[in-house]
Amino acid sequence: MDGLAPIDGWALLAIFAKAAGYAAALVAMGGPLFVATFRSAPGDVLRLARQLAVSAALLGLVVLALRFGIRSARISGMGLEGAVDPMMLGLVWDSPLGTAALWRGAGELLILAVLIEGTIGLAISLLGTLLVAVSYTLVGHSLGDPRWLLAALVGAHLLAGAFWVGALAPLHRAAGLHDGAALLHRFGIIASGTVAVLVLVGLTFAWLMIGSFGGLFGTAYGWTLIAKLVVITGLLGLAAKNKLRLVPSLTSNDSSAPDRLRRSIRMEIIAVALILLATATLTSITTPPVNL
Amino acid sequence: MKQIILALAATLVTATAALAHSKAEDTTPAAGATVETVEVIELRFDDPMRVTAIALVGPDGELAITRETGLDPVTEFRAMPNENMPAGAYTVDWRGLSSDGHPMQGSFDFTVVD
Repeated sequence: MDGLAPIDGWALLAIFAKAAGYAAALVAMGGPLFVATFRSAPGDVLRLARQLAVSAALLGLVVLALRFGIRSARISGMGLEGAVDPMMLGLVWDSPLGTAALWRGAGELLILAVLIEGTIGLAISLLGTLLVAVSYTLVGHSLGDPRWLLAALVGAHLLAGAFWVGALAPLHRAAGLHDGAALLHRFGIIASGTVAVLVLVGLTFAWLMIGSFGGLFGTAYGWTLIAKLVVITGLLGLAAKNKLRLVPSLTSNDSSAPDRLRRSIRMEIIAVALILLATATLTSITTPPVNL
Repeated sequence: MKQIILALAATLVTATAALAHSKAEDTTPAAGATVETVEVIELRFDDPMRVTAIALVGPDGELAITRETGLDPVTEFRAMPNENMPAGAYTVDWRGLSSDGHPMQGSFDFTVVD
């Protein structure tokens, strides 16, 4: 198939590590966004959002270090020995991943400030969220032309994605609380706007990478994107069911609504994991059709 | 707002993403070629590539080569075999970092005849 790089164990490891890095970054960024948007949410829910953001930020730092080793192993062709080779690690540091790592690492450290209750802690963690989003515009396919449009699309895609992904676990908690319905209802209203942005900028970026319908069906990038879009369609279906059926049931005190909503949110989390794996595949081992 | 949408649409229509990956355009010896002697091994890329590892494997195992272009990102990578290459089938395996940070790898085969 056109545009598919050789796949070995290190390439697979790189995909899983990158997907884990995406998940960590999105949950870490999503925490401050959630706390800032829903400041009047139940205390238990806000506490969970903060704790998850901090754990994800710390995990993100570990994954970032691991990814340096994995990339170093891949470019050296020496396996484990290459993963700790100072010269190879230096070359990775000099590459765009090094620049991105500085921004992402700083951002993930600033996100830890979400633990400090009050406006200053929140403002610092929101700045961290922005830095992590910017870090993803400094590496990979978003470095193509038109540079600024691609960077803006990736940044907006990540912020909108983080708002959703970071909210899933806190909303799962809220669905089990007697005063959680108002929060879920409000999330549904805001998310209908942010999800539209997420999908629109994602599709625009994909179109810039593909350039024609032929590129969609004849290449590894195109087929991976189709797989991602299939899971996204399922995720949007779940989200619509939650907003239009399950949250209204919760509001009207239907006794089975909390369990059904919580199950549905858990399925959303599984769908997000699959989407992140597809995205990591897209950005690791496939070449955008416009570059073939 | 309308102007912004129009400007965005115009950018999308005219945009051609140029970078994203650089790939080996062609090589010397050419992939699949049969040659009598090999004075130089060349890899040509469409965007600068930092070739981080390269191995020449022949009928008697790996042969030492000397890089002419070092570790800097180049669009034309050159290396010379240190010794005469006996007749047989050869493979060149290379690894590199493209200018957008992607790890890249590739290989090509050629045959040396007396």
